[in-house]
Amino acid sequence: MSRKLLETDGREWVQKGIISEAQREQLLDLYPTDATAIGLLPLLGSLLVGLSALSVVAANWQGLPEVVRLALLLGSLCGAYAGGEYFRRRGNLNLGMGLIALGLILFGASIVLTSQLYQLIGYDLTGLLAWAVAGMALTWLYRSRLLFLMTAVISGIVQGYNTGQLGAFSYLTAIGTALGLGYYWWRRPDALLGGVLATGLLWQAALLINHLHVKITWFFIPAMLVYAFGDWQPDRPAGRALQGPPLVAAFLFTLGLALFGESDLYAGQLRAPLLPYLASLAGVLAVSVLGKRQRGRLGSLTDWLLLLPGFYFTGGLPLAIATLVVLYAYSGAVLLRAHQEQNQDRVTLGTVLFIITTAVAYFKLTWGFLDKSLFFLLGGLLLLGLSWWLRRRAAHTFSSSTTPKP
Amino acid sequence: MSTPLADPLTPVSGPAGGSPSTLPELPEPTRRRWMQWLVLAQVLFVLGVAAAGYATAALGRTITLRTRPVDPRDLLYGDYVNLRYQVSELPGRLWRGTTLPRRHQPAYVLLEPQPDGTYEAVAAFPEKPATTGNQAVLRGSVQDVWRRGLRLRYGLERYYVPEGAGRQLERRQSLRVQVSVAPWGQARITSVEPSAE
Repeated sequence: MSRKLLETDGREWVQKGIISEAQREQLLDLYPTDATAIGLLPLLGSLLVGLSALSVVAANWQGLPEVVRLALLLGSLCGAYAGGEYFRRRGNLNLGMGLIALGLILFGASIVLTSQLYQLIGYDLTGLLAWAVAGMALTWLYRSRLLFLMTAVISGIVQGYNTGQLGAFSYLTAIGTALGLGYYWWRRPDALLGGVLATGLLWQAALLINHLHVKITWFFIPAMLVYAFGDWQPDRPAGRALQGPPLVAAFLFTLGLALFGESDLYAGQLRAPLLPYLASLAGVLAVSVLGKRQRGRLGSLTDWLLLLPGFYFTGGLPLAIATLVVLYAYSGAVLLRAHQEQNQDRVTLGTVLFIITTAVAYFKLTWGFLDKSLFFLLGGLLLLGLSWWLRRRAAHTFSSSTTPKP
Repeated sequence: MSTPLADPLTPVSGPAGGSPSTLPELPEPTRRRWMQWLVLAQVLFVLGVAAAGYATAALGRTITLRTRPVDPRDLLYGDYVNLRYQVSELPGRLWRGTTLPRRHQPAYVLLEPQPDGTYEAVAAFPEKPATTGNQAVLRGSVQDVWRRGLRLRYGLERYYVPEGAGRQLERRQSLRVQVSVAPWGQARITSVEPSAE
């Protein structure tokens, strides 16, 4: 129940004698003011203040003596942290954490500006790495979601800069991010942070694959390792959120295979050395299955359908069609489980996946044979009919349920 | 007051058994003590960067390098100029390693002064070589290798231009760059001026 409903309808309930005024107030106390929007403000505020300070100082930067420049940087750094602590102690947590976050941004800015001051370009990673390490330490000290988010982003930036500018992959950064933030998330499971963490790790994995110039299918080994980690997480929503990004990547990949797999040239780009790839994939699968069994979620094993390595077959059109069958099996399984669990959000998700698959299948199978106007007419009718049927099915599920799950 | 982004939530553990105990908040005094150390470490790190830069100029020896003429449109890029040196590209015969150079391998370039006062490369080594008299060594990393030569990067390819001087540098074709090389190998630019010719 939302506070909003209580606020608007509560007085009416009191008038109708359903609850007393005292009970209404007790209920209201149960739902403190939702402060999601306010939580975003310190983030944006600290960003803007940081940027403006940066631009003002940068405009006059050259005119200032070196010592003054250094003092300015370090002064604002310490000031931000001290201010953060001060406001936290006074109970103003949002402002406090905003200032601590600003301190972290200022630390990064200080490293960059001091390097410029002394014409040190630094083709080594030490400076940026120190920034990420500071973010990690702050996250652990304050147990803060905002700092977690920033650390994930900073690590992504460090890795991006490293592979892009320096032409090297920092395994230290990748492992540090995975262990430091991963263990934090493990102990403090959270849906939003799970999504952020998975996205950050997939980004670094993608950079690694690109850096190593290996077949892109190797990407799914680290990606599914992240997924398997989610299987072991006792907190179900958080685990699901961590598994979202790897599944999105796998679904898009399979969709691409259905669209282009017909050409052996494309499929050939995906064929990693057979045995090592399958062995690694099987290893990750084992970790995932064990996790699922441990937490009693073997039903979600259908997710692994997307990882079927069909691209090893030189099938041409049959391969594309087989991939479509896999996509149907996957989205059908999502729908089926959503109906069983009576989970409205997942029904919607399954519906969307099913419709996307149908659109691709239709495009794939009829584009060449049909007159174009007929193609679009029939395609439109097909999708409309399908969405109508799926929605009816969903409505049926939710109306017939006598004991809806919370 | 609880806000999802700015302060840590106490998450609800799942129904499944064996859930790890949720990480508790750090006790206030412990956190504050660690925080003091962390801020101190950050300040020291920034000071360390400054000290390294200062010491390189104060204790290092100064050599002059000449840049290659580059397309002036490429040269100025925001607040800094991109520099390409004569010693950025070396002929392969200067390489003194037992094996062929590889990308991202460190390379130590031995420099000797020329009659016009600038330094030119005489050899490149995979390990730091011994120097005699007025020779100097610049540490770089191999960026590219091809049949007849190799391209190196020294960490001196960018010069942050003092306000307004960029336009002046842009029109020049060749520049003389003063570089300070510290005894421990770190190098930084101390000044950039247009070449006499």
